[in-house]
Amino acid sequence: MPTQVVAILFFYQNGNMEKDGLLEKYISQSGIWDEMRGETGVRNQYQRVCDQICTLDTASLVQKETQAGELFMNQGITFTVYSDNAGIERIFPFDIIPRIITAAEWEHIESGIKQRLKALNLFLKDIYSEQQILKDKIIPTELIASCPQYTREVFGIKVPHDIYVHISGIDLIRGDDGKFYILEDNLRTPSGVSYMLENREVTKRIFPDMLANNNVRMVSNYPLILHNILNALSPRQVSNPCVVLLTPGIFNSAYYEHTFLARQMGIPLVEGRDLMVDNHKVYMKTTQGLEQVDVIYRRIDDEFIDPLTFNPSSILGVPGLMSAYRKGNVALINAVGNGVADDKAVYAYVPAMIKYYLNEEPILPNVPTYQMMDTDARQYVFENIRGMVLKRTNQSGGYGMLMGHKANEEDLVKARKEVEADPRNFIAQPIIQLSTVPCFIDGQFRPRHVDLRPFALCGPDGIQIVPGGLTRVALREGSLVVNSSQGGGSKDTWVSDL
Amino acid sequence: MLSRIADSLYWMNRYMERTEGILRILRTHYVLSLDKGQYGVNSWKPVVKLFSTQTDPEAADFEYNSIHTINHILLNADNNNSIKVILGRARENARGAQDIITKEVWEQINHLFHTINNPVLIQRFSGNDTLAALDQLLDRALLFSGVTDSTMPRNMGWNFMNLGKFIERCMITVELSDMNFEEGDYNLSVNRDILFWRSLLFSLSGYELHLKTYRSSNYTNSVANQVIFNKQFTHSLVYCADRIRYYLYKIIEDNRPEGADHLLKHFGRLHSYIAFADMETVKQEGLKPFFARIRQDLLQLNKNLGQQFFSYS
Repeated sequence: MPTQVVAILFFYQNGNMEKDGLLEKYISQSGIWDEMRGETGVRNQYQRVCDQICTLDTASLVQKETQAGELFMNQGITFTVYSDNAGIERIFPFDIIPRIITAAEWEHIESGIKQRLKALNLFLKDIYSEQQILKDKIIPTELIASCPQYTREVFGIKVPHDIYVHISGIDLIRGDDGKFYILEDNLRTPSGVSYMLENREVTKRIFPDMLANNNVRMVSNYPLILHNILNALSPRQVSNPCVVLLTPGIFNSAYYEHTFLARQMGIPLVEGRDLMVDNHKVYMKTTQGLEQVDVIYRRIDDEFIDPLTFNPSSILGVPGLMSAYRKGNVALINAVGNGVADDKAVYAYVPAMIKYYLNEEPILPNVPTYQMMDTDARQYVFENIRGMVLKRTNQSGGYGMLMGHKANEEDLVKARKEVEADPRNFIAQPIIQLSTVPCFIDGQFRPRHVDLRPFALCGPDGIQIVPGGLTRVALREGSLVVNSSQGGGSKDTWVSDL
Repeated sequence: MLSRIADSLYWMNRYMERTEGILRILRTHYVLSLDKGQYGVNSWKPVVKLFSTQTDPEAADFEYNSIHTINHILLNADNNNSIKVILGRARENARGAQDIITKEVWEQINHLFHTINNPVLIQRFSGNDTLAALDQLLDRALLFSGVTDSTMPRNMGWNFMNLGKFIERCMITVELSDMNFEEGDYNLSVNRDILFWRSLLFSLSGYELHLKTYRSSNYTNSVANQVIFNKQFTHSLVYCADRIRYYLYKIIEDNRPEGADHLLKHFGRLHSYIAFADMETVKQEGLKPFFARIRQDLLQLNKNLGQQFFSYS
């Protein structure tokens, strides 16, 4: 902490008159969209936040940052670093300055995500039954056939209300043109929603009146909406169905989130060993004996969910669960087999799906994607590799990526070999300079790249998206990788009606 | 309630009760070790023997070295019963049941866990801050009890938590009393000074109660009476046994499990063994076998509970 108190970070009076301070030093990089600073100065939606922060000196901002860290630590919102035996607990870095989205931007995002989810649901239903989209040659059959996430075991299984993607965390990024693009669809077990909610609670503590001053829309009803959807999916028509949240256990990095959601919804948090299947029905083992389970919000990946059907060495799952699922005696949320729709190679066809199933133009565009199976595309990509990011189709979390502008010759040669050996497993996308937001780092405001993950819930009554989401920040200077496993942090995300 | 959760809550509270117990014992022993006198300097050996997985020959090293012993009992990760280890386990159990305990309870355990793992703590113990640091930890442990009491709903989880708490407390009273009476060969007719019994009474937070309740100068007898039969004393065997019975019946009432008869009959024998005895019968039987039988029955009770309610894996 600097001993010398640097006066005033932001200073505004009656309009845009800037006094000296850290904001002067906050330089948004040219050619990159900055969420706070436009060409002519601070954007309207950030004005009031700036005004308020200008009244604080560096010391108070540092103090607020420390306070936020302590709030996360004391609540146990931590993850464990196992690099040494001590099992040190760390918090996910939280930046105190919110990311603000205007009502108009949100409307656009919301309609785009709803459209996309509608198409993806129809695609999943189709691909696990009639496969019309393959017969009509919209998507090449070999792409699906070669997709490791295509789950033959669920072919023909009917799911309640034809909903496959109940919970999604679609990642959006904003390019230098200020437009939002879809980066990836997380349709399996997306995490981060507890951070969306907890970040908001922390903002309430450190900047108590800022939220009200800015007319920020509420996010806290997310668990209630989710609970209603889970209840509505019960296969048994009973007034109080047994809904549980299935967690891999306390060592999972998202365990905090599992407990958070279970607590907020008031449903039991179970582990695989708490459940058993008898006569194609799922039961949980209680002190009163066995109790039938109707709905499982599972946070275990497909691969580990049932050792009898998938990975036989899994001890996280429940043997026989798939048989109960196939019989329709239990609802699994999200549906099994969704991975095929968020394969990075299938991703490129989502705009085509939207046209095919809905006869609409995509509201939110994809990032241009080159299939490495296509020889021309491959050649083009390697000619322009410095402006490209190469991704493995079956990996996520910021792993299995090669950023062209940072890679050395050796890596490039190696990558090229790997691509040529197995082109199906790779795609390439032009590097998009993600938009930046000021972050409070080492006592100063610096621009850092962000993405946006709104959480959409899909139930029998349609799709609902709580206004906000998780903004992830790449805290390393110049880094475009926002994943928490790669040095990312997060911000409170506001949809503000100003 | 899930069997796994019941198990976690039961053990969470056993570990938390043990933490509180050990901290109080450490504090008492440390304070008394500062007095140089007949009943002052106490060897740490019996304490280490009781609350550490350290084997006996090594325990000799601990004889009169307070800071070394406190560090060992509090912070030594190789000692399976150190506060650091058992708090880690308590927290792990709390984590597994995080949706059942209240947020406040979770935060207390989590905070205590982070306090014990804070490197600053070691420095405080090696400096002149030992007593303040022990007090801080003990306060935290007591805060856990208070927060639990005022926030937890009175449901099945609560019953299992308290079952764990009072079984553990009963165990601590048995072990600690046994340790202290052993020094006088369990002979109730040999009177020892109240200054000798301070250690036991402070460790069970019963010193003031003793002064207020007992007028006799036969301290050995009245201390035995207090730790076994005093119903007002929250650490006495009879108080703990009453509480165990209360929560056990609650649990069985709500669960109606098959095979509960066996569990109830076994516990009934233990309960009446304490409740329907008096100093005369204890004297006749001998204090040593009396404690030994209670210890044995408590272990069996723990086992029976596991079979009845916690078998899930």
